[in-house]
Amino acid sequence: MIEVVNMHKRYRLRNVLNGVSFTAEKGQVTCLIGVNGAGKSTVLKAIMGLTPMSKGTVRIDGRARERETYEKVAFIPDHLTMPSYMKLSEGLRFMADFYQSWNQARAGELMKFFRLDTSERVGNLSKGTAAKYNLVIGLAQDTDYVLMDEPFSGIDLFSRESIAEVFSTDLIDGRGVLLTTHEVGEIEHLLDKAVLLSHGTVAKEFQCEQVRSEEGKSVVDVMREVLWV
Amino acid sequence: MNRYLKLLHMEIHRFRYILAGLMAITAAVQIGVIIRTLVREVAKRKEDILNHQSIDVGSALFPSGKLSFASTMFGIQFWFALPILLSIAVLGLYIFLIWYRDWFGRHTFVYRLLLLPTARRNIYLAKATAILAFILGMLAFQLLLLPVENVIFNLIVPAEMREASYFADVIAANQALPFLLPQNFDQFVFSYGLGFSAVLAVFTAILLERSYRRLGILYAILYLIACAAAVIILPVSNQTYFNPSAYLYPEEFFMIEMVIFALVVASSVWLGFRLLAKKITV
Amino acid sequence: MHTNDGGTEVFFNNRDPVYLQVVRHFKEQIATGRMEAGQVIPSRRELAALFKINPNTAQRAYKEMEEQQLIVTEGNSPSRITNQMEILQSIRTELLHDTVAAFIASIRKIEVPIEELLDLVEREFNEARLHESTKISDSGGDRND
Repeated sequence: MIEVVNMHKRYRLRNVLNGVSFTAEKGQVTCLIGVNGAGKSTVLKAIMGLTPMSKGTVRIDGRARERETYEKVAFIPDHLTMPSYMKLSEGLRFMADFYQSWNQARAGELMKFFRLDTSERVGNLSKGTAAKYNLVIGLAQDTDYVLMDEPFSGIDLFSRESIAEVFSTDLIDGRGVLLTTHEVGEIEHLLDKAVLLSHGTVAKEFQCEQVRSEEGKSVVDVMREVLWV
Repeated sequence: MNRYLKLLHMEIHRFRYILAGLMAITAAVQIGVIIRTLVREVAKRKEDILNHQSIDVGSALFPSGKLSFASTMFGIQFWFALPILLSIAVLGLYIFLIWYRDWFGRHTFVYRLLLLPTARRNIYLAKATAILAFILGMLAFQLLLLPVENVIFNLIVPAEMREASYFADVIAANQALPFLLPQNFDQFVFSYGLGFSAVLAVFTAILLERSYRRLGILYAILYLIACAAAVIILPVSNQTYFNPSAYLYPEEFFMIEMVIFALVVASSVWLGFRLLAKKITV
Repeated sequence: MHTNDGGTEVFFNNRDPVYLQVVRHFKEQIATGRMEAGQVIPSRRELAALFKINPNTAQRAYKEMEEQQLIVTEGNSPSRITNQMEILQSIRTELLHDTVAAFIASIRKIEVPIEELLDLVEREFNEARLHESTKISDSGGDRND
């Protein structure tokens, strides 16, 4: 379980996060939802230690972040993190060199699934292809958790569909997934849990199926209710 | 250790074309200017012989009238030093770029570096070692280039026009080389130690900026001023190595300066590690 | 896959629990005879991939269907539609009952006499069927992609 407790973040004299607390369970797809600028990316970055928190705690399976965390939790940012001069094959090689959790066979499967060409250079990828390659790099690690920042934003419909397809496969199955999005509608039925972020705090945290059966509301309905007041 | 070496390999690999380019420019410019100068000098002497003029009438540069490698080096100061200065400028700029290139561009590699399952100090150490390797690599290349240039000298200048010279004279003949290659080992360690502690201080300044951004620029400048002040406080207070009326003995002066350097290096490295581990932001 | 034949794409609405919509889809398949007693159904993962849903949801749907004794799973072998005919027959009744109940609930607000309503239902029903059959014969070829 990933636990975020009372996370605060100040940036340029503004309180971006103002005591954010939630959990993301293993084996579930949890979605951090909020309008642009709500601080979703900052939460993911702070979990991964890519930006300091002003206050608060992050625990992963009950432990503070440490070196081994990076073998256990994969982070897929909203852009590629491999230098432009690398070939795709060199990027995979780099990952294999540094991560014990790297699964080369799985990387190969994913490259095939997304029809990526290993001799292409990272700098030449289109937006949709870059997003797919980004996903390969993150998902080919045998990690317990995967964090994804806006995996569906800014790419074409077909890329979006093939990325959504990944969520229905055993690539995701059994892992804990925490993703962010600002447009939930399209992927609503992929989610187990939603965390609504607004004004630097968690406005609501709920199981999607529970809200549907108890209140007959979609995630978007709840979002409208909570975020538009 | 293993991952540190991989990171170091990667840093060197990323710079290999620029490094090779600098070496190529250095070799081309130095050898080119040597060939041009010598061909001209040799032609002039042959012409003199044809005109039945005595060969021992020397010039200011070649008093005996014969050509020596050392005096040739003395004669081509500017063109010889130019590629060295260029290399220094590029390496100096790369001290900054080795960090900033990871933050800038469409694909920010710094995310990946900070997500590696290794202690973050290895990133710092790999970059620092890479800079040191580039400097020493360029130096070694220049050292290897000198004998090659000597061979070229011998090929162009006929034996009867040649005068032997010592290697030490060759190095002393040029303004730039004694700086790069001090004559005694203590001096070598001292100047390169000074240079490298400056590199580490700049690294820490960069990390301060990357951690605190706009406010970080202020911290960075203050940090560099503090480091510079610590280092020059003794010499400025007239306690120089050469000043016979100084309060401190030269050995004492040297020891204290060394301790100050050690402190600057230690604080830079410690602060750098800490910023990278706790405060850095992507 | 059998669940997807005849060009019927499954669309989920976002307001009813997805797992219940999956269960209902299975019931419709059984009631219309597209799935038979004893037939092997896709695994949890295959179903997730087929319907593009989260594997947890597929799991939950299967659990629900097991509880309703709609499907049976013995040991490690794949799940099958139950052979108990009385359960299968009750599905049809249940689906009909549910739909009609929902219909009545919404029609009651209009307070229309039953004769007029039945008349209207019959007419609309026949028209829809006619429309359907012409549509199929018009574009029968493209519907199988």
